[in-house]
Amino acid sequence: MASADKPINTDVPEKDVFALHFLQSLSNLRRQNTFNSPEKTNDRVKKIKKAAYVSMARAAGGTNRLWSRALLRRAAKENNKIVRFPRRKKRVTCLRRRSNRRDPVEEEEAERLRNLVPGGGGMGTSKLMEETAHYIKCLSMQVKVMQCLVDGLAPK
Amino acid sequence: MNSSLLTPSSSSSSPHHLQSPATFDHDDFLQNFFSSAPWPSSALDDDAPPPTSDSSLAGFHHHDVDSRNQITMIPLSHHNPNDAVDVNALYSGFSAGSLPFHFPQGSGGGVMKQSHTQTQSQATASTTTGGTAATPQTKPKVRARRGQATDPHSIAERLRRERIAERMKSLQELVPNGNKTDKASMLDEIIDYVKFLQLQVKVLSMSRLGGAASVSSQISEDAGGSNENTSGENQTTAKMTEHQVAKLMEEDMGSAMQYLQGKGLCLMPISLATTISTATCPSRNPLISAVKEAGVPLSPNAATTPVVNVKGASVVTVKGASVVTVKDASSVSKP
Repeated sequence: MASADKPINTDVPEKDVFALHFLQSLSNLRRQNTFNSPEKTNDRVKKIKKAAYVSMARAAGGTNRLWSRALLRRAAKENNKIVRFPRRKKRVTCLRRRSNRRDPVEEEEAERLRNLVPGGGGMGTSKLMEETAHYIKCLSMQVKVMQCLVDGLAPK
Repeated sequence: MNSSLLTPSSSSSSPHHLQSPATFDHDDFLQNFFSSAPWPSSALDDDAPPPTSDSSLAGFHHHDVDSRNQITMIPLSHHNPNDAVDVNALYSGFSAGSLPFHFPQGSGGGVMKQSHTQTQSQATASTTTGGTAATPQTKPKVRARRGQATDPHSIAERLRRERIAERMKSLQELVPNGNKTDKASMLDEIIDYVKFLQLQVKVLSMSRLGGAASVSSQISEDAGGSNENTSGENQTTAKMTEHQVAKLMEEDMGSAMQYLQGKGLCLMPISLATTISTATCPSRNPLISAVKEAGVPLSPNAATTPVVNVKGASVVTVKGASVVTVKDASSVSKP
């Protein structure tokens, strides 16, 4: 890899994109017959939460990001759907030496981060931090969207 | 490039022994330079150096442009017969910058003392880097710093560390309270922030129920009562919930919390609830007559305080967008 890194792209789409995806998933949920009937609210909560994450992953870039890909794969597995993601063409990253990848001092913290960020297990520390930055941005965007929805729909 | 440099000088100062640009040669220049009279820092006030040094000075400027260095370019138009001044100016330029050339060991004593060691190690470093770069690798040609090893492993290591530091910096801007300089504490902050955001999503997805769907139907279903699908809450159902919760609290706190959570409600000390209600806009949803109510837009931060002040007998239920404070001292006995 060149010593001057390619500029790291952590752009995140606008709030509208997230809102659109989330609302679409919510309306899909509503259409399910079992959704609105009085039942254990825990299920509904879980479904909504999952819909939130999946819609966030889709809005954030679909399969272009490692974390979103891992998230979608995990969600699909829960639904017992096998998804195939097209293999991205290998970038020059594989030329980078992997010999000194881990540094024991920071590794325990990186481990915790790996557990939090979806797909963290298969990334080097440097890639992990990049993904974390994007993930944080997307999460905060999603939270803003949901908050606006809640505020907007609050009974007057 | 040759000609452009030398022409001003040649135009301004004619009687000079400049070599013609066409025949100017790197090696020649170097030889001239090294064979010229030394420039000790103390001897700058000496009389004009021999003519060869003139050419070497001029040539030196030329060399400046060739190599990548930080020597300040002193315009040759200032090159006047008073060479002592020039040498002074040049010297200050040299000491300010760093010489990338290969200074031979102890070259005729004409070594500028302060920059000598610098150039020495730099010279050796640059040669070795040149050597490494020559080997067929995909490693970038990184100029080794003073005193650092230049083998590929440490270069890779350094690159990696730089990369990580760069990303850390960008993360620092994202995370609030990211002014910690320590890497470990910064990572802790990041981890906590990610956890916090995930928790926010979870709580908001719970509260979505309160806003969109009908919570009242849930409550009424639990109370075994009527199935009201209006957005307003029924007074009796809320009271029933309250009794239910109180009963549960006597047995086991955990189950009480779970019950409440299932309804999208939570417990909050009454003092906090009053503070919130006074801080924000007043009541929205008139729910229970005997109850002091306060309308508060639901924010995840407010909703997630699982603190229960049972002594003060406060059961606060956060429903959707309203906070209802229920004073029910009698039914709760657990400390």
